[in-house]
Amino acid sequence: MWDSLLRKLRQYPSAILTAQDSSGYAYSVRCIPEPDRKRQALKITLPEYVEMQPGPAGLLCHYHDDLLWNQTNFVLRGTLEHEAGQWIFRPLTLVEGAGAGMNLIRQIRDGRQSAKLYLAKHGVKRPAIPWSKLAAIYKRARSG
Amino acid sequence: MAQFDIPQEVEAVFHEFRTTEFTTIARDGTPITWPITAVYRPVPGEFLAATSIGLPQKAFNLRRNPRAALFFSEPRGSGLSNPPAVLVQGDANVAEKITTLEGIEDLWAKIFRFQPAAKQTSSGPLMHYLMDWYYMRIPLVISPRRIMWWPNGDFSHKPLELSHVG
Repeated sequence: MWDSLLRKLRQYPSAILTAQDSSGYAYSVRCIPEPDRKRQALKITLPEYVEMQPGPAGLLCHYHDDLLWNQTNFVLRGTLEHEAGQWIFRPLTLVEGAGAGMNLIRQIRDGRQSAKLYLAKHGVKRPAIPWSKLAAIYKRARSG
Repeated sequence: MAQFDIPQEVEAVFHEFRTTEFTTIARDGTPITWPITAVYRPVPGEFLAATSIGLPQKAFNLRRNPRAALFFSEPRGSGLSNPPAVLVQGDANVAEKITTLEGIEDLWAKIFRFQPAAKQTSSGPLMHYLMDWYYMRIPLVISPRRIMWWPNGDFSHKPLELSHVG
């Protein structure tokens, strides 16, 4: 995972680090993770005021263009540690998100499968999509 | 009238940023963040998001733990000059029923306004077949409790804050 993670990280100028604060709510900041190859961890420099608690944490990298298209993203699940004034994020799992090519095919396949399971589990008939009403909203939104 | 006083530049971020980095808390306590588009409703002072039933984990997480956060830190495409970054912590109410349109019309309008290529996922029989799941949504309404913002998106300084919002 480490090499794949490094390749992906290099594609983004910054990342969003999220951990819980003392009240249990998520607290996020933008940061620039620095890979520590030896420890297979990411060193993260944060301002002192940041209210994050060491423990489970997540790291998101994402991109979209000006027209909210060509989206790419991925998430790292891991843990956040604070030692000797330095924050360390230890990645445990890499979760693929949006992307082109095979990623897009995977997203569509998985989305269809998850939706089918959700409907079956909740005993809900597959709803018809009001395509014409959505098209009318699209037209209004684009002409506004 | 808004239910709480926030600076105009913060409200502009809520309306114009193309995405917010939306966090829910997984069963093991890990905060999981994905970019989404959410609508800010000044009255009654809440955010509306809606996750597809093809990606239902956000709803599952929020049903177990309603604590949610919306982080606005990506200004690309917003047209705003030096906007603040904003973090909203709040509590989410997850709808029981799924919807394709009712109750989320303003969310579709916002997505379509920002994303002209959305038409590609809603046009023609093939896309209707492949992508119908994307339009089956679980509405998520987030009531803010605390709002923090970093003027000019500068994280080197402590954020300004509006607490005890809800």
